[in-house]
Amino acid sequence: MNRTTGARLPATLNDLFQLAMMLTMAAILTAAMVLQYDGGEIPCPLCLLQRVAMFGVCFGIIMHFRHGYSARNDGVGMLFALLLMMVSVRQTLLDIYPRPGHSYIGSAVLGLHMPVWSVVIAMAILAAFAIKFAILGDEHLRDRPPPAALGRLAKLLSLYVIAIGLINFGSVILQCGADACHTSGYRLLGGL
Amino acid sequence: MMLVVFATLSLALLAAYCGPRWLAVAAMLACVALSIGLFLFEIYSPEYGFRMPWLQVELDAVPQVWSRGDPA
Repeated sequence: MNRTTGARLPATLNDLFQLAMMLTMAAILTAAMVLQYDGGEIPCPLCLLQRVAMFGVCFGIIMHFRHGYSARNDGVGMLFALLLMMVSVRQTLLDIYPRPGHSYIGSAVLGLHMPVWSVVIAMAILAAFAIKFAILGDEHLRDRPPPAALGRLAKLLSLYVIAIGLINFGSVILQCGADACHTSGYRLLGGL
Repeated sequence: MMLVVFATLSLALLAAYCGPRWLAVAAMLACVALSIGLFLFEIYSPEYGFRMPWLQVELDAVPQVWSRGDPA
């Protein structure tokens, strides 16, 4: 392996890592939207904040592909993973003991409800970043644009994430209006 | 409030893809601050504050242990 290839490999692996992370986030957010629009499971306010945190992780990755590698972008992703952890742990504890007016919202997937899955997802994101830094470091990652095919894929995926972000924005307008959000219906469609 | 959170989020995502970097960062910082504020608002209860009294981690009463041969 010559010096150029040796120096490029960590940067390419980092691009692949970022792409895989954004693909995973996009898949999770898409699944949540399918449950909402097809399954009729209207998200609670804390559920919506968890979506915001997942979009925040994607934001750091979009910045990476647009402006090049910076540890700051990874820092933003980890910050949002922490936000996701904070919100989902609180929601898990809020409904962990069933009592009037409090039970897990939505259906269970593989026996776990959505906020519990969010705790798992947040831990997985933080673990993935930690492992990436431990293996790749960050000294060979700067000023190396991704290979053309990876760059095109990242562009498409970024556009998809932005599109579902805008759809979620529209959905929040319908569900909450300018007021508090409820899970009983869409405020602007006369569901409340 | 949720509306403003998602508005700043959408602006941040759009600016990250095709806008100036400062706008993307500013919008995302605003989104984080608003999200944390909304989170604290959502979990605050006038009755309990931020506590979660339904979680009991102490035993109701210490179970009695009878030593053998001493039923009293």
